[in-house]
Amino acid sequence: MLDFHGIIFAYYATPELGELVSKRTAASLPFCGRYRLIDFSLSSMANAGIRDVGVIMQRDYQSLLDHIGSGKAWDMSRKSGGLRILPPFGLPEYHTGNYSGTMEALNAVAEYIRDIPQKHIVLLLGDMCANIDLRPVMEQHLRSGAPITAICTDSNTDDTHHRYVLGDNGFVSAILCDRRGGGEGYASLEGYIIEKSTLLELMDECDARNLHQFHRDAMTAYLSRGGEMDLYVHPGYARIVRSVSAYYEANRDMLDAEKRHQLFPADRPVRTRAHEGVSTYYGVGAHSKNSLVGDNCIIEGELDNCIVFSGVRIEEGAKLENCIIMRGCVVEKNVRMANVIADKDCIFSENTMLIGSAKLPTVVPKGKQL
Amino acid sequence: MKKDCIAMLLAGGQGSRLYALTQQAAKPSVPFGGKYRIIDFPLSNCANSGIDTVGVLTQYRPLQLNSYIGSGQPWDLDVADGGVYILPPYLGANEQGSWFSGTANAIYQNIGFIEHYDPENVLILSGDHIYKMDYADMLREHLAHDAACTIAVLQVSMEEATRFGIMNLREDGYVGEFEEKPKQPKSDLASMGIYIFNWKKLRKYLIEDEADPTSSKDFGKNIIPKMLAAGEKLWPYRFQGYWRDVGTITSLWDANMDMLSTTLINLYDPDWPISSRSPVCPPHYVGEKAEIVHSIVTEGCEIEGHVENSVLSPSVKVGKGATVFYSVLMPGAVIEDGATVEYAIIGENTTVGAGAHVGAAPDGTDGWGVATCGPELQIRPGAKVPAGAMIYTSEEV
Repeated sequence: MLDFHGIIFAYYATPELGELVSKRTAASLPFCGRYRLIDFSLSSMANAGIRDVGVIMQRDYQSLLDHIGSGKAWDMSRKSGGLRILPPFGLPEYHTGNYSGTMEALNAVAEYIRDIPQKHIVLLLGDMCANIDLRPVMEQHLRSGAPITAICTDSNTDDTHHRYVLGDNGFVSAILCDRRGGGEGYASLEGYIIEKSTLLELMDECDARNLHQFHRDAMTAYLSRGGEMDLYVHPGYARIVRSVSAYYEANRDMLDAEKRHQLFPADRPVRTRAHEGVSTYYGVGAHSKNSLVGDNCIIEGELDNCIVFSGVRIEEGAKLENCIIMRGCVVEKNVRMANVIADKDCIFSENTMLIGSAKLPTVVPKGKQL
Repeated sequence: MKKDCIAMLLAGGQGSRLYALTQQAAKPSVPFGGKYRIIDFPLSNCANSGIDTVGVLTQYRPLQLNSYIGSGQPWDLDVADGGVYILPPYLGANEQGSWFSGTANAIYQNIGFIEHYDPENVLILSGDHIYKMDYADMLREHLAHDAACTIAVLQVSMEEATRFGIMNLREDGYVGEFEEKPKQPKSDLASMGIYIFNWKKLRKYLIEDEADPTSSKDFGKNIIPKMLAAGEKLWPYRFQGYWRDVGTITSLWDANMDMLSTTLINLYDPDWPISSRSPVCPPHYVGEKAEIVHSIVTEGCEIEGHVENSVLSPSVKVGKGATVFYSVLMPGAVIEDGATVEYAIIGENTTVGAGAHVGAAPDGTDGWGVATCGPELQIRPGAKVPAGAMIYTSEEV
């Protein structure tokens, strides 16, 4: 049996995601025409042969539950083990607010973690957009013998992130919290392989001292007392989605063939819940360019630099530029839209005009009729 | 548990008239209409009609069909008591087994399977038809008319009637006579090859027919005439709607082109979904210079060229400057830069090299036909494949 267990953090959504997360967690954000963000961490684990995975949730998780179901799409619906949903069952009754950090979220499911039969635990974010080949990470983790291996990227990002700096011995020597842009070291993807015993120690330590943050508290303490941490650099596309603009950019990154093929390689498919499928029909007057279009759409109008999810209808004379149109939307005749993110099931009536800015796209909340 | 009705799907045929397309696989697993394979239609109809036990009879290259059907999960047929089973011919101990020698013989050889479910009725289906039908409604009529056998019939024109098995009705509405391809048809009701039999009765006729050395062991030719001769009640179930036999290259191409119309057969109906086992692929990508008109496109496709009046399956690539007109591209087909494909069927994972030209528009001559390239081929760059050609191997072009 593979001695690795997965834990995915799907319990939060940053306020910077605005209306996109008014009824869902970041992990269940629709992405790239047919996926949800959590598909990336689930698929990365599934493709590496990890079958036992706990998903930590706290609130607004109905859409996430609908999506992952029994875990069948990731071969995680098993007789024993498999996918487990972890609501906050270990919290004291007076606790009503959100988890204030990952360590608190872990402590809320401490009993589950104590019962994990595997020796090593893979921690991944549910709102990460990266297809990580975990097999080399697992090999490196076993080879190095360090109790923690941090998964990082060497691409730089303007999103706030943590960085790890390597010391002379090849292990991590320091953590730099909440950085922006480039700089010393590597940007953390907040994914780890950690020994179960090490994780339990850190959880206990944080619980005793009422510390909640994974990076500022647990990792800083671990490194400062000389704990060994190895570092793995993920070579492909990676983005953590914590704001509307990061969401918009990550989707539009997929119009670039190289980035798209990094995120969706043929040998490590990103799996997702299967929908009843019919093909997309392009009408006689349709014009599309540089766009990604899901199944079950009827396209009669024009698309330019757009991401269109399945089940969308774009009527004649409608012109869409730089838009993300989620499942079930209807764009009626002669609508003009640019730089718009339309959440699920919106209806744009004939002749509507809606222009957002490229830096700050307009978000139309779920089910709106314009 | 006793079942009201189970289905037996005759998927056995090589489908020799589909030539290059069925070199590697049985006809029911031939891709169809973008996201489907032919067998998705009867399997989905079964699931939508509440029939949860389906035996699939096959004896020709079953590997692909087997892996496609799997546990039956895409059609919700992975149920505890029942499900979908592939039934190849088999040998028992000290027995002389044999290939299925006819449609009736195929069922005869699987009496054991049917008895296991002890059904009241058995639905016999064919694996090469494209249609949506509520078999539960047919079963209701079958029971209401206390029929030994109910035969689904379709009204055709009198000219077409000469190509079908035709049912002549008695005054009371039951079938009085069955004529195979009559020169002078007396009725326009054509058999669709879909039957519901009372199982006890069918079992008796199968056993009798098996013992008859002159019989060709076929439902249409032997079983139905024998039942009529014995005075059994045969009821015609009138089907209205879209129905196509896709047993030839031309009819397969035609039916694919029908998928571009939403009025002929509505695949978007949420109450009657046609399900398929879809590969997981990203949405299709339409490039900067692409042009897609009056066509259906699906997941995993990357289109940089011009596609018009065509049906594209998953993971098809159309390169820059390539044109695809009035064609059917099966899963994984690659049309390289500058190639032209018109009035053609391109098999699974076949590559049409850069600048090659496959097929031609109809020119009114008798020799014209749809050009067909089999699966897993390499059509070399610059090659010319004429209209009506049938390409089996990469060496031919």
